[in-house]
Amino acid sequence: MERRKMLTMLGLSPALVAGYPAYARTAVKAVPDSSSGDGLITVLNPGIPNKLATRYPLAPPLDNLEDKTIYMINLSWEGPDAGNYFYGAMREWLAQRYPGIKTSLKVTADGMFGLDPAILKEMTANKADGAIVGVAG
Amino acid sequence: MSRWAKQIQMQLRIPAIGVSSANVVHYGLDYDFKYSNGMPVRYVAVPFPFTGQPKAVDVGYVTGKDVLSGQPLMTAVIKALTDPLTAEEKISGAPEGQASDTRLLPSDTDENLRRLFEDKGWTDYNWVKLPTEKLVTEMLNGTSRKPGEVIKSIDITGGSRQLTVEKVAIAAVMAGASPDHFPLILALATQAPFGNSTSSMANMIVINGPIRKRLNFNCGTNALGPYNRSNAVVGRAFTIVSKIVGDLRNNVNAWESLGSNLQYNNLCFAENEENLPEGWDPLHVQMGFKPNDDVVSVGIGWTSVSSVGGSQSLYPTHFLIRDYMRSLSASGSAATILMDPTVAALLKDTHGFKTKAQLAEWFSQNVEKTAGSYWGNGVIQSTAVPFALQGLEPYASWKKLPDDTLIKPFTNPGAIRVVVTGGKVQTTWFVTDFGLRRGLKVDDWA
Repeated sequence: MERRKMLTMLGLSPALVAGYPAYARTAVKAVPDSSSGDGLITVLNPGIPNKLATRYPLAPPLDNLEDKTIYMINLSWEGPDAGNYFYGAMREWLAQRYPGIKTSLKVTADGMFGLDPAILKEMTANKADGAIVGVAG
Repeated sequence: MSRWAKQIQMQLRIPAIGVSSANVVHYGLDYDFKYSNGMPVRYVAVPFPFTGQPKAVDVGYVTGKDVLSGQPLMTAVIKALTDPLTAEEKISGAPEGQASDTRLLPSDTDENLRRLFEDKGWTDYNWVKLPTEKLVTEMLNGTSRKPGEVIKSIDITGGSRQLTVEKVAIAAVMAGASPDHFPLILALATQAPFGNSTSSMANMIVINGPIRKRLNFNCGTNALGPYNRSNAVVGRAFTIVSKIVGDLRNNVNAWESLGSNLQYNNLCFAENEENLPEGWDPLHVQMGFKPNDDVVSVGIGWTSVSSVGGSQSLYPTHFLIRDYMRSLSASGSAATILMDPTVAALLKDTHGFKTKAQLAEWFSQNVEKTAGSYWGNGVIQSTAVPFALQGLEPYASWKKLPDDTLIKPFTNPGAIRVVVTGGKVQTTWFVTDFGLRRGLKVDDWA
């Protein structure tokens, strides 16, 4: 007996057995189909598989925050105010605990979608040690 | 955020972490990382919502907990910047386990296949016609384009995907379209995926040219209602092809907070060109196309305000449209006014607007709102504040104004579109915030 027909008679979905999720809970009805004659239909796959992204490793972490230069980048998610409040408090918190730390708060000129080359240039020139990017939500 | 963190780490070789609310972080850790960014960026999460809160709340998040780990937030920040890298975080290069494209699905019953389609998020959860090879082949006969031709490569929602003519044909079959519709649907598909943002946006599709008659699009009574096959299936096809090519799945990468019911049909309708007042050009002619060109125009927006009743002589129609336009965000200076032919006739014959452009210019000059109301909109904050920060006018000046100062936010009359549609049953009009992009010639896809 044809494998597909046998699976159908057993109440199993050929699609399930082939690795597609699960429809075995449905009892197969004997719906005639002009294309196959066995109640099964063959259709084209609408889906477009996602391509996994090339992997990139993280940059080496810092050993500690003492005397480091940390940039805080405000992406202006629905405006810059909330991010500025948040980063302002974060800068105070860090300054109290790491007297030698330097923090710099930057609001991106291109909003939340663009990369602001001027900030990257400044970070390079000032030998930034780390960055915090946000805040969305 | 993840692109920023990645760019900094690749360019400067220093640690860069992301801070965001948990829903954005989950997207960053999962879908965005796997299919788009490829770098396992470290995140710390604040409670949601972050924006729109009093200052004290946002400040308080710093001394609160990291939503992801439950640790004090600043402890999590320091750990994210200083913890040694794990083996997973050191991986580089081409990933293993790429999924391959399978042209045919394993044969199954009608019911099981329908459930598969729904579980995969390929439908709009209304009844679809299953795309058998026979039906798809028939659909492909509607164009001279080759089935394997890539009409668009998508990577904006994470996951690089190529949209082929055949995939569009599959979506067209599913939507119930005919081969005659296919060139138009192909043109539309170049605009896919449709607008999809946390702000719950929607789309508008306007059909112009002889194709309206040839395919029997409705531009008369109920042009925007469920009373016509072509309006229905073409609008629906855009939804299905958008979901497929965008891989749009709820709470995976479709994060529209309220969502929009308009996404079922994308406001697909035709302009009533035959009933335009003399001197009022059809939309596509205004865009520079010839009257006999078949053109489809697509736009993004959110909402509409209806006149509800007919136009009144007590208060001129364009005054009321002006008043209602004050409620729009004016993002990109965009608005689209939909009006019955009788409204267009009133505006021309009684109020003297000889062209659509003249009317749009009047709105540009006369719609005012306060600076506070303008900047109070989240989309404006996200899009126009960066312009202000760069010193671009008028945004830089507007940003300095007291909240109660009136501004004229529709700076570009060319972005204010007027489209005439409807059946001359009532002098009704809709003010919408849709911004229509330049149209596409359908013949290019025949």
